[in-house]
Amino acid sequence: MQAPNKNQQVVEKELPIGPVHPALLEPFRIRFFVNDEIVEDCEVVLGTIHRGVERILEGQPVERALLITERVCGICSNSHAWNSVRVVERGLNIEIPPRAMYIRVIAQEVQRIASHLIFLGHAMEVIGHETFAMRAFLLRESFMDILYYIGGNRVHPSVPVIGGVRPRCEITEGLKKLILELLDRGEKMFKAYVERVLADPLVMSRVTGTGYLSKEDAIRLHAVGPTARASNVRFDWRMEMDEYKPFTFDYIFLEDGDNKARVVARALEIFECIKIVRQALKDLPEGPLVNRNWVPKRMKFTDSYNEAPRGELYHSYALDDYGRLRHYKIRTPTITSLHAVEYAAIGDHVTDAVLTIASADPCLSCCQRVEVVDVKSKKCKMFSSPIEVVKKYGWKR
Amino acid sequence: MSVLFSRGICVISASIALLMGSVIAGMERKVQARIQQRIGPPILTPGFWSWLKFYYKKKVRPLATAPSFYIWTVVLGIFVVLLLLIVTLPPVWGFLGLASILGVVGFLKLEELLYVLMGSVSQSIMSVPLFPWDIVRGGKVLGTRREFFEQQSALRALKMIGLGSIPLYVAIAVPFAMAKSPYISDVIRLQNPAFFTESIFPLPSSPAFFTVYGFFASIVFFIGYVILLNDKPFNIIKPKIDIMEGGTLEYGAIYRAYMYIFSQVMAFVLSSVYVTLFLGIPLDVTRPALLALHLVLTLPLPIFKAVLAAFSPVLTFRQIYSASAGLTAIGAFALIASLII
Repeated sequence: MQAPNKNQQVVEKELPIGPVHPALLEPFRIRFFVNDEIVEDCEVVLGTIHRGVERILEGQPVERALLITERVCGICSNSHAWNSVRVVERGLNIEIPPRAMYIRVIAQEVQRIASHLIFLGHAMEVIGHETFAMRAFLLRESFMDILYYIGGNRVHPSVPVIGGVRPRCEITEGLKKLILELLDRGEKMFKAYVERVLADPLVMSRVTGTGYLSKEDAIRLHAVGPTARASNVRFDWRMEMDEYKPFTFDYIFLEDGDNKARVVARALEIFECIKIVRQALKDLPEGPLVNRNWVPKRMKFTDSYNEAPRGELYHSYALDDYGRLRHYKIRTPTITSLHAVEYAAIGDHVTDAVLTIASADPCLSCCQRVEVVDVKSKKCKMFSSPIEVVKKYGWKR
Repeated sequence: MSVLFSRGICVISASIALLMGSVIAGMERKVQARIQQRIGPPILTPGFWSWLKFYYKKKVRPLATAPSFYIWTVVLGIFVVLLLLIVTLPPVWGFLGLASILGVVGFLKLEELLYVLMGSVSQSIMSVPLFPWDIVRGGKVLGTRREFFEQQSALRALKMIGLGSIPLYVAIAVPFAMAKSPYISDVIRLQNPAFFTESIFPLPSSPAFFTVYGFFASIVFFIGYVILLNDKPFNIIKPKIDIMEGGTLEYGAIYRAYMYIFSQVMAFVLSSVYVTLFLGIPLDVTRPALLALHLVLTLPLPIFKAVLAAFSPVLTFRQIYSASAGLTAIGAFALIASLII
């Protein structure tokens, strides 16, 4: 595909949308700078739903971290909980029973499927195809049921704990059979769904060739996850994670870099996730679910990366002498991918540009923070919301 | 036929249009819901009951630059739609030449123009008014002209007037070209000569729909019908995702009820125009059997529209321009063929 020329700008007017807008899933503001409805530049403005999770975590016992971080996101809650416990497990060298590792992977991959199906539903909603959108949400129900059977909850299954998984997340033979049945049914229905979407000429005319992001731009703008992999950036954190070493599956890399590629990449990833879950259920090792042989103690600053459904997820913190959290940092994939699709939207029609922004699968409440950098002293200061910046520095900089 | 009698027929026909409009809206929603494996709302809820519901809501004054003008535009829209219906009624056929292609196309164009007027003055709170944030942040490209997305909708409505709705007008011209006359009465005389007799159930002998060019024109008319009603896939004026409802966004309470009446009655009236021009069955309240047949035949178009909407995304101008050009070509073929043959 030929890249559009994104350097020549003739801005006729600005078309701002939001943050109060019924079509936006979360409150954020998009400023389109357009020339006859063709986007010349674009700016996504965050800062209306900052919740101060990192501040809340400061000084909490480490056991409580996963409960709070799980609530960072309602769609990839397991990724946050898992990554939160991975930090302390890495820092204190806590051994994880193999059975627990497998169950963590199962929960993670099922939630990845559910997350990708939300994206597909939302993408279809954005292009105005209600029937496909509703069908995607209907398909998602099978996988939400699996999460419910494993963890006891649909949205926050709370599978991992420090040292393993919760005892209630035991996968019995009966449950294994039920999950496999749901997987078979879900895969069959999803395959038919994908075939229909890809065969629909009207849908394809909307998604093909819009929101182009080259591989070079994806790397330069730090796109992550399926957004980057749809531009042929050959990286997935699962390649680096020991938990995924026992499983055989393909990483999805596409070369087109447009909205269609980002939709198709997630659709194909779902099939790979199903493959992983099947293998994990088949080879599920026997043994304990959790290792309790650890005590909270001083831990130096440690970090952990995980491949959340939307891409690279970073958690890091230190523990003081009493095992309390210090300097908790979370970086969600949206914060980097969003900037890449801002750039990708240039050259699109306004209506297509909204799809391009949605194609990063943005999860905005997870990623909101305000950082003011003093250029002279090169110091930065975190604020909980833009209004605090206004109070301190006034309306004009 | 006395003037009082003619006026009575017009009032009864307008009442039937209101009734049918309220039913058609519910039928469309039901069809879409069934396709999407949902139960859907009861038939009368999206039409009749929603009108009543909005009638009792608290009135909110819109933020439009000319609020009174904005409010009355939608009321004007209802009158335009009812006038469009009235010019197709048999008692009005002899009145000032309005019962002709001129009257039909004129009122349709006026209806299209109303969307431009609505969008031009509407200014919802959801876009420009939150500007201080951008200045505080020192955001990109400051100092550019800012536009409300309702105004963008008005621009899109203008584009649709310019190109999008041409197929509909080409298709409407076909029955008139077949009759070699600009008058509706001549169109009916060609297709349904029995209508001008004393028969209580005069059926058309040679409807335009059953000719090759009439059939092609019908297809083009249907797409034009969808375009004019701003339904998917041609609802770029109000695609929900970026500029949402467009010019009609700020209609709240009773004005939203008016807006629903406007769009829902329009769905019936355009369908009625189709039945009159392409099937040769006018809306005649003095012949109950013919009236019933007319009302039944107005239902397929909205149902087909609902099916199309359920299986379509919103098209942007990239697709609409090419679709419009293709349909105009088909319509022009039908028009030329009807003139030659």
